[in-house]
Amino acid sequence: MTASIIGLRHVMWIPALGAVLALGAFEPLRSTQHGDPGLRAQLQLGRALVLNHDCNGCHGGADPASDGWLAGMTRPDQEFLIGPCAFNTNAKPCFHTRPRNLTPDNATGLGRFTERQIFNAIRFGLRPEDTPDVAITSMTPGKGNFPLHPHYLAPPMPWPGWRFMSDAELRAVAAYLKRGLKPVVNKVADSEGPPDFWASEYTVDKIGRYPAPAFPTAKEIAPR
Amino acid sequence: MWSKRRVACTRVMIASLTTFVSVLCLGAVATSEHGFATERSAEPSEDTLAMPAVLKNISRVPGTVEVNLVAAPARLALLPGHVTSSYAYNGTVPGPTLDVHEGDHVIIHFRNGLPEPTTIHWHGLHIPAVMDGSPLHPIGPGKRYDYVFTIPRGTAGTYWYHPHPDVRTGFQMAMGLFGAIIVRDANDPLSKSLPDKLLVLSDNRFRPDGSPDIADPSSPQGEIDQENGREGNVLFVNGQVAPVINIRSGETQRWRIVNVSAARIYRLAIPGQMMLHVGDDGGLFEHPREVSEFLLANSERVELLIRGTSSPGSRTSLRTLSYDRYDPHTRPPDWDTAHDLLSLRYLQSPPLAPIALPAVMRRVRALDTTRVTARRVLVLSQGLINNRTMNMSRVDIRSRLGATEIWEIQNVVTMDHPFHLHGFQFQILDRDGVPEPYRSWKDVVNVRKHQTVRVIVRFDDFPGKWMFHCHILDHEDHGMMGILEVRPPLARSRL
Repeated sequence: MTASIIGLRHVMWIPALGAVLALGAFEPLRSTQHGDPGLRAQLQLGRALVLNHDCNGCHGGADPASDGWLAGMTRPDQEFLIGPCAFNTNAKPCFHTRPRNLTPDNATGLGRFTERQIFNAIRFGLRPEDTPDVAITSMTPGKGNFPLHPHYLAPPMPWPGWRFMSDAELRAVAAYLKRGLKPVVNKVADSEGPPDFWASEYTVDKIGRYPAPAFPTAKEIAPR
Repeated sequence: MWSKRRVACTRVMIASLTTFVSVLCLGAVATSEHGFATERSAEPSEDTLAMPAVLKNISRVPGTVEVNLVAAPARLALLPGHVTSSYAYNGTVPGPTLDVHEGDHVIIHFRNGLPEPTTIHWHGLHIPAVMDGSPLHPIGPGKRYDYVFTIPRGTAGTYWYHPHPDVRTGFQMAMGLFGAIIVRDANDPLSKSLPDKLLVLSDNRFRPDGSPDIADPSSPQGEIDQENGREGNVLFVNGQVAPVINIRSGETQRWRIVNVSAARIYRLAIPGQMMLHVGDDGGLFEHPREVSEFLLANSERVELLIRGTSSPGSRTSLRTLSYDRYDPHTRPPDWDTAHDLLSLRYLQSPPLAPIALPAVMRRVRALDTTRVTARRVLVLSQGLINNRTMNMSRVDIRSRLGATEIWEIQNVVTMDHPFHLHGFQFQILDRDGVPEPYRSWKDVVNVRKHQTVRVIVRFDDFPGKWMFHCHILDHEDHGMMGILEVRPPLARSRL
């Protein structure tokens, strides 16, 4: 599942990514009671996407009934080592990155972030704590309101692949995390990383274009 | 399963990781580490630490302090041995100290001799908004302005002054513009015979020619400075590197310490002895607190009583211990290194008898939480307060004279943000729900990474627009600031 961020895809730089992304309105936090059938369906979609994207594979829990469901790492072996130290223990640099608590606990989880900030995290890779609660209007650093020096989520969070989920799907994931889960207190230490907050790893050359080029490209076959 | 993932997800990172190793190495070079081993035979009893000059009072009217203050370019050796172009107040760095008493009428004839607009913010003083020197009231190059205000009763303490123009505060302070303010109480509860020492802590980073090294914002160091705030690798006390303070065994000294650094937080300690913490930003509080160390965030002040608890002829130092205020991505490589700030040398003279301290130094009446008129949440994130950057034509918080408010300041990011409110002193209620162990007057609180701090404040006087902001100067200059407007009270109903 992490293949999407390790692939060194050599894609031609195409600057025409500036199309304004109309993200639509976000559901206000109206109710935590799921009496609203529309909300219930949205949360079930979010839950299904969380399950079939294996969010818990890193963020904790075997299934939604188990302890620690999406509550972040609880054991040292859930940490990731990023850098040459993954192969040679003492090689430098060495960054420890840690799956964070995705439950809506205010102090240790996502409770302080809006659903739009969570959406922006998966669609653009932007750290929610460093990204205002606004619709992002560009995909190019420094253009529109996309930060000139973006702070990206630490690897191996596979947002470069998951950003291709539809707006409605991403909104459902965010709604499930914020409104479909009970808060769990679990403080996870901050992930480490290089001073550019991974910007040099998440260029278009490396992670490809969003939206993806139209089907079929020269590498693909379309049915006659 | 885990190990497989670990290997898979790391492969891509390696190719370009070598690039920033060199960046990391650009961090601190020399520190103020130094040896104090050699004892001289002829013992000088004078400190090598010099006090900044005091602004000369040109008024003959009792209760009035009238001074001249000029901000202008100067040729100075900020770094010893390297004369370079800098900015200075009245030609010195630090600028001369404004030394006044409670109740004094203060007139400051200010002239801006800089080639750019500036202001002077009288950090922590409770004075009219138009005199606060906020970015709303810039003084153009070559222009003059008279700052006129009265020092309120009950505000004796240590404050400071510095430029606060829009976007350029960090630059102007790095160039040398800062100075201290001491407000004295005619009936100071601490004996006037205590040696009273002012320690202005600053840091700076220099180019080889000795000029302040202010990195291009688009350079790797510039990007780190924007994250961390600009830290210097040379640490100064009153503009001096590694000065000496002498003390006698048994003696008690009063140290007023001001952190004017752009971003550095000092974790102060004197190895081998405890310190008595007696005052905060707004002056003395009720009971002395015995502490082994004290965390002084940028723009905070602390008053410590330093007691000569060691034997004649010994020596120790005032140090800043390692403190992790940083996001892990931009933590400087030497962040976990301690640095000496000054040497504390015990004279050979026979010990003095220790002095007695008053049981209660100064009452700090608690602001009444039952009279709170508003509770507000301020979320600090990277460069933002409540998701917004500074807009000078916008009011972020509206309040009224006479209001008592609780502000819950939430830091949701992975680095500390020292939060400053202009014009009003507040009291800290709790940090992450843990009640503050003592009560004092504050105008800055360091909100640690992921921490929530609640403060209570009363807007008892002075309507107008007031800034609140992160006091990491790079964050402030990039707009991590908002405006509080305190309006006159509503007219009373005639019914």
